[in-house]
Amino acid sequence: MREQARDPKKIILWVVLIAVAIVQLFPLVWLLDFSLAKSTEMFTNGLLIIPEKIQWGNYVTAFVDGHFLLYLKNSLLINGLSVVLVVLISIMSAFACLRMHWKYSRVAYTILLLGMMIPIHTTLLPNYKIYSQLHMTDTIWALLIPYTAFSLPQGLFLMTGFMSSLPKEVEEAAVIDGCGIYKLLFGVVTPMLKPSIATVCIMTFLNNWNEFMMASTYLSSKTWKTLPFSVLDFTGEYSSNYAVQFAVMALTAAPAVIVYVILNKSITKGVAMGAVKG
Amino acid sequence: MKFKKLIAVAMVTVMTTAMIGCGSQAADSQAPAESAAQDTSGTAGEEITLKVFSNLPDRKNGQGLVEQTVIDNYMSENPNVKIEVEALDEEAYKTKFKAYSMEGLPDVVSIWGQPSFLDEVLDAGVLAELDESDYADYGFLSGSLDGFKKDGKLYGLPRNTDVAVFYYNAKMFKDNGWEVPATYDDLLKLAGDIKAAGIIPCAMDGGDGWPLAVYLTDVLFKLTNDKYADTATTAIQNADFSNEDIKKAVELLHEADEAGLFQNGYDSQDYGTAQNLFTNGQSAMYYMGSWDASMALNEDIDEEIRNNIRVFTMPVIDGGAAKATDITAWNGGGYAVSASSANLEEAKKFLNYLYLPENLSKIGWENGVGMSAQDETAFMTGNETEVQKQLVDLIGKATNVSGTTINDRGSAAFKTSIESQIQSVSNGSTNVENFLSAISEACK
Repeated sequence: MREQARDPKKIILWVVLIAVAIVQLFPLVWLLDFSLAKSTEMFTNGLLIIPEKIQWGNYVTAFVDGHFLLYLKNSLLINGLSVVLVVLISIMSAFACLRMHWKYSRVAYTILLLGMMIPIHTTLLPNYKIYSQLHMTDTIWALLIPYTAFSLPQGLFLMTGFMSSLPKEVEEAAVIDGCGIYKLLFGVVTPMLKPSIATVCIMTFLNNWNEFMMASTYLSSKTWKTLPFSVLDFTGEYSSNYAVQFAVMALTAAPAVIVYVILNKSITKGVAMGAVKG
Repeated sequence: MKFKKLIAVAMVTVMTTAMIGCGSQAADSQAPAESAAQDTSGTAGEEITLKVFSNLPDRKNGQGLVEQTVIDNYMSENPNVKIEVEALDEEAYKTKFKAYSMEGLPDVVSIWGQPSFLDEVLDAGVLAELDESDYADYGFLSGSLDGFKKDGKLYGLPRNTDVAVFYYNAKMFKDNGWEVPATYDDLLKLAGDIKAAGIIPCAMDGGDGWPLAVYLTDVLFKLTNDKYADTATTAIQNADFSNEDIKKAVELLHEADEAGLFQNGYDSQDYGTAQNLFTNGQSAMYYMGSWDASMALNEDIDEEIRNNIRVFTMPVIDGGAAKATDITAWNGGGYAVSASSANLEEAKKFLNYLYLPENLSKIGWENGVGMSAQDETAFMTGNETEVQKQLVDLIGKATNVSGTTINDRGSAAFKTSIESQIQSVSNGSTNVENFLSAISEACK
């Protein structure tokens, strides 16, 4: 053990890893630190500050005036649903484009992937017009549809990458044993896709969790507003209540961090395994 | 098997939530139907819902609080009217404003009486015309309605009068024997003296671009005085900024940077940073609009600093046309009524109520959120902060005011261009010629 610890390579490795960890974690620590200070204490010279008095009140204000619980419920519901939809549709379309033989499967796949190239901002106003004529602004669909649509190409890309590395023989065996197409897809293929499902889940979730541009354009009443609106409640015309905004951001970041910690292992595995195609 | 269960659970969740979604939608869609039924019955206490689209998301402080207070008062005086507020901050507000313009704006909206915002909006014809004679008794300061007019017709009303000022810490000035500068050269010399004392001379929010554009306007106005509006507008319309005065103004801005007037890194620091440098006593001056006079009422700020905040305007420039009492001031934000409003009469009634002198103007004055565009002398109680008194005095004694700042005189593209490039000419990373040709490109 001792000799191993003295190994200079190991020491360098540890130093580098610790440095990276600090760089990664520092913003979160900083966020927590400032969320407990007063707005006026924020612009001092130090990197971190020791608040004169810990301001738990910031969190209370964030919770009450920021409508935190309502927005959290909306965020969880909308994000949860879009994750489920993206996973479901991307598994089915990946299977259809990759394993099923039909004339335009490659074309369909390419068209779906082209979606990755469309910047969200260009669709903002046209979509608003469409929603408005369908009377869908200010409903859950106004967010659910674009959140699902914009995450789908990435989901499909990861799913096909991973699916192509799975042995076809398993599916053939299942078909020989009399397995139908839905049973084949959801009973045989899907369980093998677990790592990439986790990856798609977390990517969709993190992408949409902080999305504000579409939410602010398509929603107008409180009913379906999501968490980023909570920060807005403390934005003044010129200057803002930074301390409470930091508290809101800390609360907003928490679920995302938790999701990441839980699914972390599967993500790295999913991304890496999809990379090698056999 | 486990996975199958997982999928089953997921499916159930999707279905139930979708059903919940539909359920609440159904409930929602019933509500307007009921109120519509009441509308058609035409009873005296007709239920009316007005939608207000505001650029003040914080409803508990400052201008947002003032707006919300007036709205709450209106609802309690008119129980049949319900006012729903949707508030977004500036960028998101402007994006959504465009979206709304396509399909009909909410009844009452926030607007800016500046060509960079209003020209497109008025061309689209989405705002209702107002009758100027209605507002004869409202005490609007002369010229304050001009920015909200097109072809002589009035489309909106201004909320504030904004004056560009240097806030300074009077105690710090006194203790160090510094004087309020009388000329631009004095100002630059003062910057050197303050810097030598180890203090930041003037805090500047350079990251945003617009405060620097206001500073540029301030200097240009001091050079040109009466000809300012003409000089700026002609340059923008002809996409030609070769005018000597404009060139000189940009050079003077850069000289201020060279003299070390602003803090290190001002070109990337934001509003809050600049303000806090001043309110923490790290800087002796702070260049900003008159709305920040509310600092003197902010109890989070150290009392010694809070009570010693005073203002002075841009000093005169050698060879410039303007006197000390010619000030850079403009009427920025305001309100308008949507042309497509289903409750046009009620919306106009509410707009007029907002502008009754005892509402926005008086409540705003009491909360110290800045100078109203209406005559405020009637509300003076004598308990105002020194800064408020100074500002009232400044406006009262003004011999000429500049009107809209240069960045807001052209198209939205010009505004973006000047506000994103002014930092580099100010800090010297671009020379004056390149800067001027870059902003003229944006006018073409």
